[in-house]
Order: sequence, then C-alpha cells, then structure tokens
Amino acid sequence: MVHRGRISFKSGPQIDMALLFCSVFIVIAGLVNLYSATSVYAASTSKSSLADMYVSQVYWIVVGGLLAVLIAAIDYRNYERLALMAYVGGLVTLALVFVLATDVRGSSRWIQVGSFGFQPSEFIKILLIIVLARYIHNDPRTEARRWIDLFVPIVLTVIPAGLVMAQPDLGTALIYLLTAGSILAMLRIRGGSLLWATGLGGAALPMAWKFLMKDYQKARITSFLDPEHDITGSGWHALQSKTAIGNGGLTGCGYMRGTQNQFGFLPDQFSDFPFAVFGEDWGLIGGAVLLALYCFLVIWSIRIASQAKDRFGAALAIGVGAMIFWHVVFNIGMAAGALPVVGVTLPLFSYGGSSVITSMIGLGLLMNVSMRR
Amino acid sequence: MSILVQRSDVGEFRRRYRWMVLVVLAIFSTLFGRLVYLQVIQGDIHRTQARRNIVREVKLATRRGVIRDARGHVLAANRPSYNVYVVPTKLNQESTWPKLVRLMGLDPAGSKQILERIAKVLALPEEDKRRAQQLLIAVDVDRDIVANLETHHDQMPGVSVTPVPVRYYPYGELGAHMVGYMREVDSADLTELEAQGYRPGDRLGAVGVERRWESYLRGKRGMRKVIQSKRRLANREELEAKYLEEPRVVSPVPGRDISLTVDIELEQSIEKALRGQLAASVVVVEVRTGRVLAAVSKPSYDPNIVSGGGGIEAVREAFRRLYVDPLKPMLDKTISAAYPPGSTFKPFTALAALEEGVIDRDLQVDCHGGYEYGKRFFRCTGVHRRVDLHSALVHSCNTYFYSIGAHEHMQLDRLAKVGLSFGMGAKTGIGTNPEARGRMPTRSWYTRRYKGAFRGGFTLLAAIGQGATTVSVLQLGLAYAALANGGTLYQPQVVRSIETSDGTVVQEFPPRVRRLIAIDPGHLEMIRDGLRGVVSEREGTAHAGTVEGADMAGKTGTAQVSHVTPRGVDPDKIWYFNRDHAWFSGYAPAASPEIAIVVLVEHGGGGGKNAVPVASRVVRDWQKMREKKPESREPGIDMPESEEVP
Repeated sequence: MVHRGRISFKSGPQIDMALLFCSVFIVIAGLVNLYSATSVYAASTSKSSLADMYVSQVYWIVVGGLLAVLIAAIDYRNYERLALMAYVGGLVTLALVFVLATDVRGSSRWIQVGSFGFQPSEFIKILLIIVLARYIHNDPRTEARRWIDLFVPIVLTVIPAGLVMAQPDLGTALIYLLTAGSILAMLRIRGGSLLWATGLGGAALPMAWKFLMKDYQKARITSFLDPEHDITGSGWHALQSKTAIGNGGLTGCGYMRGTQNQFGFLPDQFSDFPFAVFGEDWGLIGGAVLLALYCFLVIWSIRIASQAKDRFGAALAIGVGAMIFWHVVFNIGMAAGALPVVGVTLPLFSYGGSSVITSMIGLGLLMNVSMRR
Repeated sequence: MSILVQRSDVGEFRRRYRWMVLVVLAIFSTLFGRLVYLQVIQGDIHRTQARRNIVREVKLATRRGVIRDARGHVLAANRPSYNVYVVPTKLNQESTWPKLVRLMGLDPAGSKQILERIAKVLALPEEDKRRAQQLLIAVDVDRDIVANLETHHDQMPGVSVTPVPVRYYPYGELGAHMVGYMREVDSADLTELEAQGYRPGDRLGAVGVERRWESYLRGKRGMRKVIQSKRRLANREELEAKYLEEPRVVSPVPGRDISLTVDIELEQSIEKALRGQLAASVVVVEVRTGRVLAAVSKPSYDPNIVSGGGGIEAVREAFRRLYVDPLKPMLDKTISAAYPPGSTFKPFTALAALEEGVIDRDLQVDCHGGYEYGKRFFRCTGVHRRVDLHSALVHSCNTYFYSIGAHEHMQLDRLAKVGLSFGMGAKTGIGTNPEARGRMPTRSWYTRRYKGAFRGGFTLLAAIGQGATTVSVLQLGLAYAALANGGTLYQPQVVRSIETSDGTVVQEFPPRVRRLIAIDPGHLEMIRDGLRGVVSEREGTAHAGTVEGADMAGKTGTAQVSHVTPRGVDPDKIWYFNRDHAWFSGYAPAASPEIAIVVLVEHGGGGGKNAVPVASRVVRDWQKMREKKPESREPGIDMPESEEVP
C-alpha cells in the first residue's frame, strides 16, 4: 500500500524479469553480431585492432551493467534533486568538447581522458530526460497547456541540441528533440499551440537547411532522396547497407557468411550499420525477432510508465523508452534505406562505450521505476 | 522519509499511453514492412547485386588459330607484345622513375610526357583514381628491355610488364592481301558482334583469310571467377572455394588452325621475279583443282604494322601513308581490281568463232597492218600477211580477230557468252577479299551505256579484249585453267583444311567444280596448239622473253589503258600511268598442264617483254619446287598463358 507522505513497498523492490530478459537477449544478440562484423578483420594485420573491438565492447557492457545495477539500486526519486545540477554540469562538458575535442571524420564529439575517449553528447540524453521529468513532475496542471507554458522545457532541450548541432552531429540533436517531444507529448497541449508548433517547425526546416546544416549533411539527405544520383559518394553507404539486408532474404546467409560484410562492402558495420550485418546473416526471420525485442522493450517501458507511482517516474520511463525507440527507428530505418543516413547508433548493438553505457543507464532507470511502483 | 514531494496525479498521462503504444506498433510495423520489401519482394535484386559486388570474372585469353601454307610454313601466328604499365599511385617518382627511364632508354621528351599523364591521374578524385589504375606507357618493348625490367622487378613497385597477344606474320608483305591483317573492333561492329562475345579492344580479321575465316580462327575466351573484396584477403583460395559457385574456371578454347592452298615459296619466287616492277599482280592456280597456289599483289603492305603490334599511332601512320600511294598498296590486285585483258582474251574470241562456224582451222585472213571497218581503221601490231588461226594466235594478229568481230554472224553477245562461260565478268566466289566483277559487255549493255547508239566497232574491240571488256587476274587464271584441263571451270579454293592446334584435321575442302563448259575438244586443241606456238615458235610473241627451261604455253597481252590521270599523281610521273598493261596468261607444262599462271605488270608496257619473263621464271622455279617433298608442319609461335588486361 502506498501511504500519503510516506514510501513503503508492498513486498520490497522486485526485479522486473521481463525487462531484464529482454535486455539480456538484445545484449547477447548484439555481441554475437559484433563478432561477425569485426572478425573479418582478424586476418588483416593493419586492421587487427578492429577485431579487438569485440573484447572492449564486452568491457563496456560489464561496466555499463554495473552502473545500471547501481542506478537501479538507488531510489529514482533521489535523482530529481540532482537533476538540474547534473544537467548544467553536462552542458559544461558538452561545451568543453569544442575546446578539447579530437576530430573523428570531420566532426568533433569526443573528449579524451587518459586513454579513454567519451562522448558527452551521449550522456546528455539521460540528463535531458531527467531534467525534463523533473519539470513535468513539478508542473502538475491538468488544463491544456499553451505554447508559452512549455517555454522552459523547450529551452532546456534546444540548448544541448544547438550545441551538438554545432559539433556537428545532426543525429544526436534529432534524438534530443524527438525524445523531449515524446516526453512533452504526455502533457495536454492546446490544439492551437500544436498547430503553431507544426507551422513553426515547418518554417524552421528550410532555415536549418540553409544556415545550420553542413554540406555533407545536406549531401546525405539529397542522396537519400535520390540514391542513384551519387553511387560512389554519400549514397554508397546507404546503397551497400540496403543490398546487404536484401541479400539476407528470408532466412539469411548464415552467421558470418554475409558477403557484403565479409568482403568489406559495409562501411562502419560495427557502429552505424550493425543491423545490415545482422539482416544479412539472419535474414527476415532474424530481423523480425530483433524488431520484436526492441518493440517489446519500448512498449514495456510505456507499461512501466503507466504503472509508475508519480509523474517523475512516469516521465523517466517514457523518456528512456522514447530514447531507445527513436534510436532503433532511425538506425534501422537508415540501414534499410528508408531514412537518410544520420549517425545514430542501435542501442546495445552498436560498438561504442558511450553509447553502450548510456543505454545501460537508461535500462537501469527503467528498472528503477519498475521496481518502485 | 520524504525525499520527493509526492505528486501522484499521473491520471493526466493515462489517455496518452494507448496512443503511444499505437504509434510505436505502427512504426515498428512499417519497419517490418520495409524489411519484407527489401528481403523478400526485392530479395533477388539485392542478392544479384551482392553477387556482382564480390564476383568478378577474369577473362582468360584464347589463342587465335595459326595460318599455314600448303607446305606447313607459318603465315600468321601469335606472339607476345610486351607492354609496360605503371600504377601511378604506387610509383615512387624519386627512386623508381629515374631507374625506369634508364632501363627503358626513354628520351627526356618522352619521359616528360609520361610524367604529365601520371600527374593527370594523380589529380583525379579518389574513386576515379582507383578506376584508372594502370597506365600504359610503352607498347611492344624490346626483349632486352623486358629482360632488364624483369630482373629489376622487385626494386620497382608499381611497374609491370604484361604480354599481350599480337598477330605476327613472318613473311611480312609477301602475300599479305590474301592472308589479311587484324584490326580493332569499332563501336559499329560491337552492336552486332557483342552477342558473339566480342568486347571493346578485341581484334578481328580485317581482310583476307583472317576476315573470311574469323569465326574459325578466333577461338573462345575462357573465364575464371575471382572474389573482389574491399578488404585484404589472407585466405583467398579458401574463401573462393566457399563462396563461388561452379564452374569457377572455364578454360579458353583455342581457335582452329588453317592450312591454305598457297605455297609461300612459290610466292617468294614470284616476288623475286617481280623485282624491278612497281606494280603487278600474279596468280597461280592448280589446273585440275582450282586451288590457288600463289596470289601476289604488288606493291603490298606489312600486316605486322597495320595489325597494331606497334601501337595505335603506328597503325594510323601506316594507313595514312598507304592510302595516298597512287600505286594502291592496299588494293588486292588479284581479285579486287578488273583490267582490260587485251590479247589474252583472243583464245576465247577464237573459240566463240569456231563454235559459231565463223572460222575454221584453215581460214586465212590477209593482214595489211590493220582492218578497215566503217569509217575507222583498226590497227594491228604489225603487217602479218596471210594468217590462219594458229599464226594469228602466235603473232597475236589483231586483224584476224577484227575480221571475226566484223563477221555478220559473229555477234558481241556470243563473245560475252563464251567469256562468261569461262567465268570472266562474274565473281569467282573466292571470298577472301571483295571481288571486282569485271565485265563481258553485251549489246544491251552498250545500248544502255551509249543511249542506244550501238556500233559494230565495239565488237571488234571486244574481240581483242579491249573496249569495255575487263577481267580480274584470278578470273583469267581460272579461265586459262579451264582451257588447259579441257573445259572444267573450278571454284577457286584458298583453304585446304581446318585443323586443331595439335594438327588433327577437322575439316577438309575437296575441289569444287563450278561448271563443265560445253566446247568441242577439237576446237580446244586448235587453241592450245596456238598457245604452245606463242612460246615455242621463234616468231611467237612470248618466245624471246621466256627463260631457258620453262615449259609452258600461253598468250601475251598488251592492254591499252584509258588516259586518265589518277588522283594525287605527280605530273612528272603521268607517263607511267599512261603506259600499257603487260599481260601473260598461260599454263605449264605445255603438254600436260598442271598449273595456270597469269601475270599482269601494271603499266609495264609490252606483254612479251615485261610479263613473259616473270611468268617463265616462276614456272621454272615451280618445276624445281615440284620435286621437293612437303615439309612438316611448323609450330606456331606460342603465347604465354595469360589473363586479359582489363
């Protein structure tokens, strides 16, 4: 029973087994797939370090898993107090990127600490979710909100989005906006304001095209709209990925037998296009199972939100669910040639410490809310 | 302990959850639909594309068939032309390049030009650079240079020497018109020939036997599948066995070898006999088979150069030179040109007259140095007094034949009919080169040509092989062969047999009779008697010019040419082009003929003085050669097994 003003558990925190198993399945599938994606380089002396990625990914998952346990163990309501401070600290780190960053393919996203490089923009996702959840928690109005009422959360979102756009990292900015939008979609908003928002958004797109986006980003979008136009340039990645998935057919080429992957036709197959490797190896059947797992995870997080005992928990669950959802949609969408190539990772599948740890923290938060309903 | 102000009014959210679930399900369904579309509906397309990404078919070069003469001498074979390529991205310009320049003996201008081409490739964007990987810098380099480059191969990364098959004609200009040469397929050919497996850059026979027998000589290229990878493969063999479907290798099928009927040694003898003549055409055919033993057209060209072994520039330059030459070296004068036969036609006039009953053996005609017909006086070569058929042939008396032409029962069409029955004025069907039809003019032809004004004088001119009458050298040779063998006209034959590369005969070509000519053997004997006299009798027109030991019979001819200046001729040399053509047509040995020979010396002057010595020398050489045994089959020059350069 929940008593007003006090917290107690009916029978103590209970581990959400569905969430746990679903996550573990995805993690295992991701590791198996990463092995297929990187093992092809084991024979090559110049790229043998790539084969070691598999091992470091295991480290990240272990570290991430421990962090998730830690985060799940502490009652999530403690995070509400820390939210603003953590958020501001995160923004400062993000700004530091411009001073300390190392360049990776023309965009600076990394901060090097000792031998570790990490991407602050990844962790900001979690901090943004928490700070928005806090805002929603403290704004319990029931009447429909006007445009101006949402000023604060919009500012909270636009600041980090603007910073990562400047790195430039279109994909992450997009994830911020969509995740924040999903959280705000929980609130009642006046019809007129919604119309305004749509109109403004529509007007902002060409402006963003003209002033904010870099040439290579534009090229990705034009090549998405017209893939035959430029087979060798930006369209190349998308085309080869599409071919890989199609090559898988219904039942797949078999584990580590996908030729697009084995013979190096997939660019960034470990970070941006792991799904192309998976789809080629396992076919439609494997792809459908993976989609179902992600789908279950997202819907389960909505369920967790619906069972949360307070607004903060509900918003946290929706935020984490939305973050995972939009990552999956954009990553698989771009691998399948249905969306333009924006560098968005596939949670728990893509290689990368920051991405893995961020996803793990997210899952920890979900578990936290689920355990304390 | 309260760490959070409790706000449990989560009811505001409830209505949203169902919508969110619906949106999530809808979007995941769309993604699933996309996967179905890519993997099931479009699956085949992508699978094909993925195969195309990794499987490359390396073409394995085939070997073009060897052409040999009747005695087994190689007339056309293949040899490797060593081409030097550099990979601009791998070439070290500081260390390797100077060494390469020194080893190849490049001059500064040439090396500068190559460096500019390399710089151009290096300036290309990354993708194009990879495509333009190999740069051809030298064609058909000397063997010594090849050996030098091979020994220093390890010290020169980015430099490679690749053998490319090139057609090789050991006898060069000799008999080139019949054997032919090679040329590269052009885009117009490719639209037609692509279905037969020709690719840009392929060569095919341009003329002669090379063209006519292209489909036999060519062979079929093989193929080997290799894996194309964007990464380095350490265990290529293993992967290829795993990923490539059978057949992984299709061996090339070598082209068929061809044995010709010609005898290159006889052609060499003809060439020797023709020394001192600018332009000539000689054909020797076997009397009882129609096989062409020799066909020489002079001047000739070197098929080695025009076949492209020395590079495209050399080919262009050669053709530029060959086509402005007024002596027309590219023209096959044995087949592709027609000339007035002059007096060599007289035996056929006589045959027509005998068949028609206009003359007989004993009819005599008075020759006063010409013949008056209408208002015109038709000249003879001299004053022969009383001539009968035999002496008319021996002296080549025009008057005797004018009188035949002027006879009321002797019509032009009769002459044409006899000429045509001997195969003159019609294509022989030899097939190697485009044929000149020649012409046996008829009354209706003249009527059409001169708008109805046919005159009797035309028949007189036709009777001595002048006027509008023209024949090709080969036609005349076959006609004389028919005179010699008793009236059988053969299809000319150039290819004796087709063989596999190890010498097994696949197909043999027996002689083919074109027509049995209906002539009275008695009449034929009268003519042959006359032809023997031409050579053997002291007054015979061919007697003086015949070298000792040549046993032959035949007829001389001196054909007037129309006085038209050929294009591009130096005015100082017009006299040459206005000179008469010198002819000799005959057969040997005189008593039991085996070969027929026709010699035409273009603008050579009198036939007896200019053509007869050539013919008699060739006959004498042939008599010697006949004794020799056929030689063994020469092997072709071998190409190393090779992949084609893409």
